[in-house]
Amino acid sequence: MSWQLVVFASLNQAALVKRGLTREGIEVEMQRTPQSLSFTGCSFALRCRQEDVPRVAARCEELSIRPGGVFAETEAERNSQKRAFDVSELEQ
Amino acid sequence: MIYLDNAATSWPKPAGVAEAVVRALREPLGNPGRTHHRAALDAASMVAACREDLAELFHAPNPLRICFTANTTDALHLAIKGALRPGDHAICSAMEHNSVWRPLKALAEMGVELSVAEAGQTGFVHPENVRRLLRPNTRLVVMQHASNVTGTIQAIQEIGAIVRAHGALFLVDAAQSAGSLPIDVVSMSIDLLAFPGHKGLLGPQGTGGLYVGEGVELQLVREGGTGSESLNAEQPSFYPDRLESGTLNVPGIAGLDASVTYLLARGVSSVRKHETGLTVQLLRGLARIPGVTLYGPAVDTPRAAVVSFNLEGWECTALAEELERRAGIASRPGIHCAGLAHRTLGTAAIGTVRLSPGPFTSPEEIETALAVVEAIAREPRDLCPR
Repeated sequence: MSWQLVVFASLNQAALVKRGLTREGIEVEMQRTPQSLSFTGCSFALRCRQEDVPRVAARCEELSIRPGGVFAETEAERNSQKRAFDVSELEQ
Repeated sequence: MIYLDNAATSWPKPAGVAEAVVRALREPLGNPGRTHHRAALDAASMVAACREDLAELFHAPNPLRICFTANTTDALHLAIKGALRPGDHAICSAMEHNSVWRPLKALAEMGVELSVAEAGQTGFVHPENVRRLLRPNTRLVVMQHASNVTGTIQAIQEIGAIVRAHGALFLVDAAQSAGSLPIDVVSMSIDLLAFPGHKGLLGPQGTGGLYVGEGVELQLVREGGTGSESLNAEQPSFYPDRLESGTLNVPGIAGLDASVTYLLARGVSSVRKHETGLTVQLLRGLARIPGVTLYGPAVDTPRAAVVSFNLEGWECTALAEELERRAGIASRPGIHCAGLAHRTLGTAAIGTVRLSPGPFTSPEEIETALAVVEAIAREPRDLCPR
């Protein structure tokens, strides 16, 4: 299964997007954005399945949120403590 | 105690509110937005839930435009001082609370032009009184939804339409209406809504909020840590982070979320019906008592659950003390932090006694209060403190 990380500028945004997705039955995990992807300092992210990214994007649009980016989780991320991501296409 | 001071803060609170506050203090609940351990994320989820519930209550399209504040005054400051610059023109009504009047007067000293829309003897501001004051540089119109002195309900929808057509911002002080009267920020053309969490919303003291409409930009009154864009020296441009610097009152918001959940289930219209019944009962009963002077709209005119009166021969403060001494009746005498409104009503020199029932007040409690006022009124006057 392929996972994506959608980065938000703040936890307020990530938490509200997550609530809407949870109501739709879409599982997402809220987490701190890895420092390597957190270009402006502190930020938060939602980890979701690749196929759910369009729903995440739709929820962001409903809330007038522009995500900081969408990143594909790599094998290195899944299998080690090292956090590594490939930049994925922006869904906006 | 017969608690008739819900206009100051509501009591009792719905079941579950105190428990939610205690739970927020007893169980791990972190600082939302600051880190990502479970306790912090749980706090963030709870805060997000409260934002959503408030947005639903006020028909706000985007929950992210609900910003938490310490109280209504805090929210009004963010809005008034955020919207106005020297050279701008602002309009308020002659019934405003000091939370609006004082910041506007302070800004007037710094070059903001200020006009006051006249109110009639019942405290009602005719929308035309607002329209005729509009100028090309009018930036903000501030209006109380319901008076904290007389319960007078202003024509918010009509005034909102006038202000929107002019292109100014419309700020509504919902201190006496949030949770008690229906509010729809879209149909009422409200750009900014300041509300308390601890009055009609039935939450804990120390909670409140400001709704900021889409496209409304405010100058900052304060900057600080938001847990977002931490490498930038500038405050984030997005809401609610733009206005929410520093740690939120998470235990208070936990209580507020429990109370708003209760209100959404019970329905504001149900609360309104209950409070209207008690208010009419109070007004009719007081009107029958010799020596009572009532203020505000007539009994058959809709008003919020706020009743101001005086009793001949009694100073308002002495009467309030007597009500508490005889039957444990909690009221509020004096000027109610609303000198402008009392000047409008002609009661600035004497004040009034204010009785304000709430969602959990019973008709029996109102009957007891009326009986006590009547008993006092019928006693020989020379026994009464003047």
